[in-house]
Amino acid sequence: MNIPPQQLLILAGILFAIGVGGFVIRRNLIVVLMSIELMLNAANLTFIAASRMHSTSEVQNLDGAVFAIFVICVAAVEAAVGLALVIAFFRRHQSISLDSLGAGE
Amino acid sequence: MDAYIEPLKALAPELLLTAAALGALVLDLLMRGRDSRFVGYFTLVSLAIVAIILMNRIGDEPTAAFGMVVVDNFGTFFKLFTVASLAVVTIFVLSDRNESHHHIGEYYFLLLGAAIGIFFMVSTNHLLLLMLGLELLSLASYALAGFHKGERKSAEAAMKYVVFGGLSAGVMLYGISLLYGLTGTLDLVEMAKSTGEAMPAGLAGQLTTSAVPVALAMVLVLAGFAYKMSVVPFHFWTPDVYEGAPTPVTTFLAVASKAAGVAALLRFLGALFLGPDVQSVVAEYGASVGQLLAILAAVTMTLGNLSAMRQTSLKRLLAYSSIAHAGYILIGVATMTGAGFEAAMFYMAAYYFMNLGAFGFVLYFEGTLGSDSIEALKGYGFKAPLISIAMVTFLVSLTGLPPTIGFYGKYLLFKEGLDAGMYWLVGVAALNSVVSLFYYFRIAKMLFLKEPASGSVPRQPLFAGLLAVLCVLTIYFGLLPDAIQEFVRNCLLI
Repeated sequence: MNIPPQQLLILAGILFAIGVGGFVIRRNLIVVLMSIELMLNAANLTFIAASRMHSTSEVQNLDGAVFAIFVICVAAVEAAVGLALVIAFFRRHQSISLDSLGAGE
Repeated sequence: MDAYIEPLKALAPELLLTAAALGALVLDLLMRGRDSRFVGYFTLVSLAIVAIILMNRIGDEPTAAFGMVVVDNFGTFFKLFTVASLAVVTIFVLSDRNESHHHIGEYYFLLLGAAIGIFFMVSTNHLLLLMLGLELLSLASYALAGFHKGERKSAEAAMKYVVFGGLSAGVMLYGISLLYGLTGTLDLVEMAKSTGEAMPAGLAGQLTTSAVPVALAMVLVLAGFAYKMSVVPFHFWTPDVYEGAPTPVTTFLAVASKAAGVAALLRFLGALFLGPDVQSVVAEYGASVGQLLAILAAVTMTLGNLSAMRQTSLKRLLAYSSIAHAGYILIGVATMTGAGFEAAMFYMAAYYFMNLGAFGFVLYFEGTLGSDSIEALKGYGFKAPLISIAMVTFLVSLTGLPPTIGFYGKYLLFKEGLDAGMYWLVGVAALNSVVSLFYYFRIAKMLFLKEPASGSVPRQPLFAGLLAVLCVLTIYFGLLPDAIQEFVRNCLLI
């Protein structure tokens, strides 16, 4: 099966839009972090699709594929730090809603 | 084997910082419960060694290591900046009365880790390393902002920082992925000079067919830099994080982290639009990016200054003031000329002295009175005259009045703005400086014009000395800015 890169790019765009939408609409901190993961994965998909687009049968352009691996790693670390802070936050507030975060000016 | 060992020498400062970070962690374990100050002294000594190595590099020919790291004067300038601000922050941590010195090794570990992130961020033309450096800085900053996790404000600050930081990282990464998709390369120099006929396609080929996708990618990438510099509309986190984080961490975020954002932005734009073999169509596109930055600059400084007027907490006030200063710095960036970049770098140097001083005052004041409200400042000038006079000097410099370094920095920025024909922007900036006079001088008035309250202030000679030195340097370089200007010119990118 050979999916054309254009379709992958469109899928990535949709994923990114869902991520931004989720970030803006949802109030649950964990869902917000999930939305961020979604955005990072949209970037990953674009990287991979673009990497294939720019490769020919002779020359492979693997920059994008390598970047995607790094992004996966960064996303894992961000999730770890983010969830640790959510726990610290939950201990104080007994809630993981953005509304209890106290809106600044 | 030599091919691997040789480039490692170029990375000596980064390697040393890594060793120092691990050393701080181990030392704290060994010293547990005895003398926590020792870890701070250890950090100071390692920073001094790194600074000496970096000083020796000024003026060297640029070299590259592992195809991604660029060792040049521009990077070295910002590395020195980072090391110098980290040294002052370390002294702040040592004198912080609110710090329980519990787990203090981790504090220094995270600070040094953030510095390593900055080091990589400012010394690369490759988007992969830029992003990794930025993430390393961000991740360490999240943990630092929430270091006093038992305190409500600190935990909240870290949470806000991580949520907005994650958003901007996601947005920036998507922008980078689009940029890669459009050009086929992650190297900025390659991207700018490729004609678009062969692989990698480069920006030029894309721009001649359609500029819309490039514009989208560019805006998304710039969002990441805007977040680090706290430029509108990515400034929401700034006041809350600055207020909630421990004051030394706030200082680090306001000075070193912001400078890293400025450095990465300057390098990104410099390599992409102002390099020696940039395609003409790409350079022309750079001018329109400059227009966008000029609008952001005007909005940022206006919003920062107007919001600062209403604040009752000194830390929040300084947070909004730092947003306003990001706007001033953007004037120099928006000109898209070498001279404009030089003015922005000079202003960063000025910002170092005055903002470290101002946050130092906040730390001192918070430690003695247990509050950072501006009301509590009443009559403080009579209780702690030396520190308060220093603070007034920093405020004069932040406003941009002579004879301080802030004045000369602003003068340079305005001059470059006018030379680039951005009269409206300089007009807005001048009006903003007048507005900022009101809130900065409200602090000075509180310090000296009100009746002194009773009670005395404990003495901290080392800390007061540090503030006095910063104060003297603010005036000294305000009168004789040539030394710094010469230094900045030597370190310029283009």
